Amino acid sequence: MNVTRREFLAISGAVGAGLALSSLGIDLGPAKAYADEVRIDKVKSAKQSTTICPYCGVGCGIICYTDTKAGNIINTEGDPDHPINEGSLCAKGSALYQISSNNPDRLKKVLYRAPGSDKWEEKSWDWALAEIAKRVKKTRDQYFIEKNGKGQEVNRVEAIAHIGSAALDNEECWPVQAMMRALGLVYVEHQARI
Amino acid sequence: MSGYSILVDTSKCTACRGCQIACKEWNQLAGTATKNTGSYENPKDLSSDTYKIVRFAEGQGANGKAFWHFFTEQCRHCLSPGCMAEVEEDEIVVDEKTGAVVYTPKTKDLDFKATLEGCPYDIPRQDAKTKVLTKCTFCNDRVGNGMLPACVKACPTGAMTFGKRDEIVAAAKKREAELKKDFPKAVALTPDDVRVIYVLKDDPKTYWKYAAGR
Repeated sequence: MNVTRREFLAISGAVGAGLALSSLGIDLGPAKAYADEVRIDKVKSAKQSTTICPYCGVGCGIICYTDTKAGNIINTEGDPDHPINEGSLCAKGSALYQISSNNPDRLKKVLYRAPGSDKWEEKSWDWALAEIAKRVKKTRDQYFIEKNGKGQEVNRVEAIAHIGSAALDNEECWPVQAMMRALGLVYVEHQARI
Repeated sequence: MSGYSILVDTSKCTACRGCQIACKEWNQLAGTATKNTGSYENPKDLSSDTYKIVRFAEGQGANGKAFWHFFTEQCRHCLSPGCMAEVEEDEIVVDEKTGAVVYTPKTKDLDFKATLEGCPYDIPRQDAKTKVLTKCTFCNDRVGNGMLPACVKACPTGAMTFGKRDEIVAAAKKREAELKKDFPKAVALTPDDVRVIYVLKDDPKTYWKYAAGR
């Protein structure tokens, strides 16, 4: 009897198009009914594009619904046509919407905690990037290993590690990996595995 | 009885909480401040910002073995909703096509205490600011537009299934019979009374105090 996701699309034709609530012929009041209607209508007319969940190695397929007028993502959910998850998602994948740009709780400014400090300070991107570059150069110059104990050329840096990011997709991870390897890093890790 | 139903086969649930988050995401509900209380169960209770929550219960069974039960709590969408006892006009309505019990914004005029007492499962909550009563919507907006409820769609283990009511009721009874072979106390919770039908392996009280009603 298991109703698959695709079959349901077929049987639900019996329910008919349009919002079921409005078919009741009663006034549901302005706020919530309006919100429901707008949301479902927006999702129905949104541009759908596929992506892969960034969090773990399973690689579930996700559909992003983009409101093309407003230019932002309004919903994300599992891709029923994806062979790996067939539309399902775990708690992390279900929460993917929160890393879209319209999450008001996302950090928008650089926060810096100095060594030994217990407080975060707001800093500018220019300051942060210059500071990172300065420290990477200093540490790399100091600890760069050209040859190992056997005299073999290794050109590596063991004094710097890179971590992240679970919010990057495959294509974004590539330049990160390329840059870190170019610097000679060997400790390159991703927090979703930790 | 027509309309739709949801089967929650807790024997297949791994408590990933994908359903809980999918519910929040679809309904655009705000996050809730949580703290570590020694259980993975978070937030601690349903609220106007949380329509669905996975209950974690651990303990020692009668056979001396430890158990860890997961119960993804939500509105049962009763066929005769006790919460509607106080309804005078259309504060709470039943969608005849889907069977969903839907709270409208007019629930702000209802007596919250009386409505809550009418619910055997302790489900309705009140928005402190607007006074509107809230709970699971059966994703009636999605269902009416040919989409699965957000929780059912998210479920990776197949613990939640959605379909025509008679088929889901039959599936619940079949699953109960299957589980009884290994778990004599296995039970399908009142499939003839509710639309969200839970199948449990053990005494409902060991899952959640209101799993089978007050």
